Amino acid sequence: EDADSQRTAFLLRKQWSLYSVTPLYRFSEAHLRDYSRLLSAFIAAEKKKGLAVEIGGELDIKVAVTSLPDLKGSDRDQAAILVQLSSRSSASPKNSEEKLVWSGWFCCVAGDELSENLPEAFTCLPLFLVNGAESYTAIVGTWFQKTFDCCFRRLSLSPFNLSWMAAMWTGCKVEKPASATELVFSVPRLPHPLHISYAINLEDAQALWDTVQKTPGEITQEEVDVFMDCLYSHFYRHFKIHLSATKLVKVSTAVASAHCDGIIKFRQSQYLTGVLMLLTELAICQIQ
Amino acid sequence: MDETVAEYIRRTVLKIPRDEIKTMLQKWGFLSETQLQTINFHQMKDNISQDVVQCCEDHSASIKQAAVLDIIYNHSYPNKRMWSVYQMNKTEEETDFFDLTDFRKKFKRHLRSALKNVTINFREYENNAIWIRIAWGTPYTKPNQYKTSYVVYHSQTPHAFISPSVLKSNLPLLCQALVVASNYQDIHEMELRSHSLNSLEDMVFKRYSQNFETYCPRPLQESTVAQESAGLRIVQENINEKERIQRVNRDTFGDGPQPKLEFAEYKLETMFTSDPKLEVLDKKEPFRCMVKFHSPHLLESLKSLAPAGMADAPLSPLLTCIPHKARNYFKIREKKGFFPGSFVSP
Repeated sequence: EDADSQRTAFLLRKQWSLYSVTPLYRFSEAHLRDYSRLLSAFIAAEKKKGLAVEIGGELDIKVAVTSLPDLKGSDRDQAAILVQLSSRSSASPKNSEEKLVWSGWFCCVAGDELSENLPEAFTCLPLFLVNGAESYTAIVGTWFQKTFDCCFRRLSLSPFNLSWMAAMWTGCKVEKPASATELVFSVPRLPHPLHISYAINLEDAQALWDTVQKTPGEITQEEVDVFMDCLYSHFYRHFKIHLSATKLVKVSTAVASAHCDGIIKFRQSQYLTGVLMLLTELAICQIQ
Repeated sequence: MDETVAEYIRRTVLKIPRDEIKTMLQKWGFLSETQLQTINFHQMKDNISQDVVQCCEDHSASIKQAAVLDIIYNHSYPNKRMWSVYQMNKTEEETDFFDLTDFRKKFKRHLRSALKNVTINFREYENNAIWIRIAWGTPYTKPNQYKTSYVVYHSQTPHAFISPSVLKSNLPLLCQALVVASNYQDIHEMELRSHSLNSLEDMVFKRYSQNFETYCPRPLQESTVAQESAGLRIVQENINEKERIQRVNRDTFGDGPQPKLEFAEYKLETMFTSDPKLEVLDKKEPFRCMVKFHSPHLLESLKSLAPAGMADAPLSPLLTCIPHKARNYFKIREKKGFFPGSFVSP
């Protein structure tokens, strides 16, 4: 398990933008080397066309497409595929260091709902996470779309989704000292926009959740609603403001943070798979 | 002229919006009108600043003179800095006659006795506001002109507004110097911080239109309306409610513009209470929370919540007390022995 966390440590504490991806046609894990080569050539061609504005003229981009065999739910899931772009100065390739400039990974955790009905030629990797410049994301995305006939869409997170995450992740046992459970609300349509950050000490939030969550090993919508209502009432009691009338835009906990624009940050490797399972589910929902 | 001074003047001029440069140089008064005529203020800022430096060379500007330009810039654009509010007190009732020369002498002496390398400048403005600029050095290095602290001391009041530099370690020395120079006994920081210096001054000196501290609910009016006008009645109720909200807002916030604050912070250590039917948390210990409100204009934003249907009117006194308590940091604990709904904030 330790080796596991070492391999996935680079995924932690980075901001990942989320996309849903439709199944990839004729994708094969056996051809990752070929994909690296082809994508590399594609990027070089795009650079020549002058389309890649942010890529410096002096930089060579090296592409690595690898598999992350431990990042999946069950054996029925396809192992995660990682794409990394590194740059090296083309002027002095031997002297300059290789710098990681962009990472993107496809993954599927407990994606049976989508994968079990797919024809053989399709690979199910419905969740895509990106860290790096938008211009690279566009190029890599275009190549995947052309090569595997798939479709990328930004995955946004609704207040409904975020409430689930707040409740679920508050319930996870973590080592102390642990960050508070923070909810961020936005009220944009006022003459002067307002942001409210409401952070609850984790121990106290867990104490509340423990009395709300009644069925072991299972979380119901009702329990999430009661938990959130309790927090909203406590706030209302003090400030006379109805948080339910505002927009929940971000949830931050010791386990992970999530933003409504579809941005996630993993904080604990032990819960990485759990969070990915939830995100895979949301991605599949968006695809169907 | 010292190269560092030249560079400092150049960088200060670059900060000023192009349309304001000439006015600010005139206020500065270091360059003559004839010299200012020789500068083309319509060219790129880079070139303007070079020209200004060139003119300053002719008069061999010193760092003290350059510092005055910095004060003038900060006085015009105080909102670029974060200001904290301090209050001084003493036991004697009598107010000494304020002597600016004496103040300056004592202030400089106190700072210099602890730290030889400091640049200290004073400039007096209207309303008895004294602006003090301090650039800090160390026993071994010259003062860093880019890491300055600013103090705005209103000499007829016990209040000072301080914008410390990133070198926070100098703050206690600065506070001491203030106390000594102004003949007070001690100084403490108020729980009030903002970028808007004017708003802080408004709040501390009560220069905004104040609200009434008590809200008296007006009695509901009886309405005897027949069934067929139920629709009309609902519309009328909505109008009545809207008007009530506006009225209550005026009562609690006052009529005029609100002081400009960007945030308010509340550390809550109150009990969690809920409907017993829910069978949730029933701990006898505080439910610890930290609530932060952020807005480009917080008080106006809060004022607009009830009309937008997102809050009750009147809004909680925890929020409406901000201007007249002149604070935006709060620690809230449960009031013991009284109604569970009441809070005390120390």
